[in-house]
Amino acid sequence: MNAVEVRGLTKVFHDEARGEIRAVDGVDFHCRPGEIFGLLGANGAGKTTTLRMLATILTPTAGEATVMGHDLLRQPEAVRRCLGFYSASTALYPRLTARETLAFFARINGLDSQLVKARVEELVARFGLADYADARVEKLSQGMKQKVSIARTVAHDPPVLVFDEPTVGLDVLNALEMQRTIAEFRAEGKAIIFSTHIMSEAERLCDRIAVIHRGRILACDNLAGLRQLTGQHYLEDIFVALVGG
Amino acid sequence: MLPLAEVRLLYLREMRAALREKNIVINSIVIPILLYPFMMWAMVTGFTLVQGQTEGFVSRLVVTAEGETAQAVVRELRRQPRLAILTPAPADPLEALRAGEVDALLELAPGRGEAAAVPGSLSATLHVNGSRERSRAAQERLRQLLHRCKAKVLEERARELGVEEPRWLNFTLLQRNLASGREMGAFLLGLMLPLFFIIMVAVGCFYPAVDATAGERERGSWETTLSLGTSRLAVMAAKYLVVTTFGFLAGGLNLAAMGVSLGAILKPLLGPEDADLALTLSLSAAPVAAAAALLLAAFVAAGMLLLASFARTFKEGQAMITPFYMLTLLPAVFLSVPGLELTYPLALVPVVNVALLLRGAIGGTLGWGPALVATLASLATVWGAIRLATLVLRFEDVVLGSYGGSLGRLVRQRLLLGRLA
Repeated sequence: MNAVEVRGLTKVFHDEARGEIRAVDGVDFHCRPGEIFGLLGANGAGKTTTLRMLATILTPTAGEATVMGHDLLRQPEAVRRCLGFYSASTALYPRLTARETLAFFARINGLDSQLVKARVEELVARFGLADYADARVEKLSQGMKQKVSIARTVAHDPPVLVFDEPTVGLDVLNALEMQRTIAEFRAEGKAIIFSTHIMSEAERLCDRIAVIHRGRILACDNLAGLRQLTGQHYLEDIFVALVGG
Repeated sequence: MLPLAEVRLLYLREMRAALREKNIVINSIVIPILLYPFMMWAMVTGFTLVQGQTEGFVSRLVVTAEGETAQAVVRELRRQPRLAILTPAPADPLEALRAGEVDALLELAPGRGEAAAVPGSLSATLHVNGSRERSRAAQERLRQLLHRCKAKVLEERARELGVEEPRWLNFTLLQRNLASGREMGAFLLGLMLPLFFIIMVAVGCFYPAVDATAGERERGSWETTLSLGTSRLAVMAAKYLVVTTFGFLAGGLNLAAMGVSLGAILKPLLGPEDADLALTLSLSAAPVAAAAALLLAAFVAAGMLLLASFARTFKEGQAMITPFYMLTLLPAVFLSVPGLELTYPLALVPVVNVALLLRGAIGGTLGWGPALVATLASLATVWGAIRLATLVLRFEDVVLGSYGGSLGRLVRQRLLLGRLA
């Protein structure tokens, strides 16, 4: 069974100055448990809009999608409870401590209240937060905040994780740490949708990659399939061949 | 259906965060407790100080006296410790008065016209400089002194003519105030407290409303909140309850602080006749005061939250809320109108109705009919504001903070014209 199913997902924005903007145009894809599905595209290609629709932050103009069998439009709360959404625009609450943050996210996303304490301690230990678990988030360094952010994304142990350009703004070591963590989540059987514009990252992490350009998916396959489709070896060349740059 | 358990979780999260924000704690808790009691204390202290200084200085007078009666008055003047007749007098007393070197010029002469025929008659002309406080004080002192002298002369003249006091003093005025000290205190509190109360509820809601909306957008956690596993209605309900709580707290704390401290603060201004004045909030007024604080906070919170929802930054939020804040304070001006009480028509006016409800409760003059209408009208206003908020927050770009216009523009473009279209 697919953890995520997306069919014909479309988002049209109305801008007074520019008129109608079709940010995402009939996108189809799916993601299975234990798989990292990559959305690869340049800035403004429609990656973030697609993922924000999947996280039910935006409402699709057309199309449909399910997350663990829950319909995006009809059961948005159920979808959000099955999902951990991480992006540069989902900051932490600065005035809560790391421990309070994890407990809050676990409880509001539906984890049984009796399991919350143990889950928080498990996450504190797993992400090495013990030394600053009771410090307010606003006092933490960027690297520490990143760890707390990942921990809060999985606080309720969701089966589906969505990472929207998670390594943007991170230094090399933190970016590698992030990639390692995402790979671990895959090994735990989570379905992961991962967007990036960094070719090496997609090449290293993703089981399947969808190349998205101007709101449309131009190709979707594993790396071998994409190589066969375009006759190019490196992902960068594959990408250029597909978008026609 | 509102998921109450989730609203509670969100509410506790928002409250915890808000109580850790210095500005919110200062504006919604510290200021309501301390500001007005402190301001009142400062005013009373300043007033007492100025009054003490005014009473302490000696008024500098130039007096011209002609005739026996005038000389008698001058002798009386010389006996007064806070009046000093300048000798030698300035060459140009009027110029000296204008320049502030002299506080008053008193010209005493025999009576004029028909009065001139009466032995010992006196005509007093007093020149003062109304633009100088010292001169005004001298005027008051001389007026009182001359009044006493006149009464004394009349008394002596009556005695010379063999007329007893009950016969010449045939018009007497006796004053009796039937209101008890408690009633007088309640009346004074009812005049003052509703004004402070409105201001404090509005101040109490202001920062939390901006912080919960524009502040959250500015901190980048708005989208985090929208991706939580709960409904948006629950998110907004929790924010609304937080803002209402702070407005209620601010109003309630202010009432309590003023109720407790006002008597002690005003004590230096009260005379011996006010010894039994009870300037404390009665316990019977407390439930109505709490209800009034809740009603007003619920209305102000809905309005402020609705307006702040359009802001993307804290500054923008403050700018958007400020006109509503001022509008909320406007009815407070009418509270100083003498004799204004909660009537059926006034019970329908938002903010004014709650303030008058409070005044009535404090003064013990509350009519239950108008009180019921005021409560229902306030609840209807709160419902209307929440309904408008629900309509407005259906729009995705407003919720996400990408809508570029204001509430007015959105209502015109999408709610009114959209419906017509």
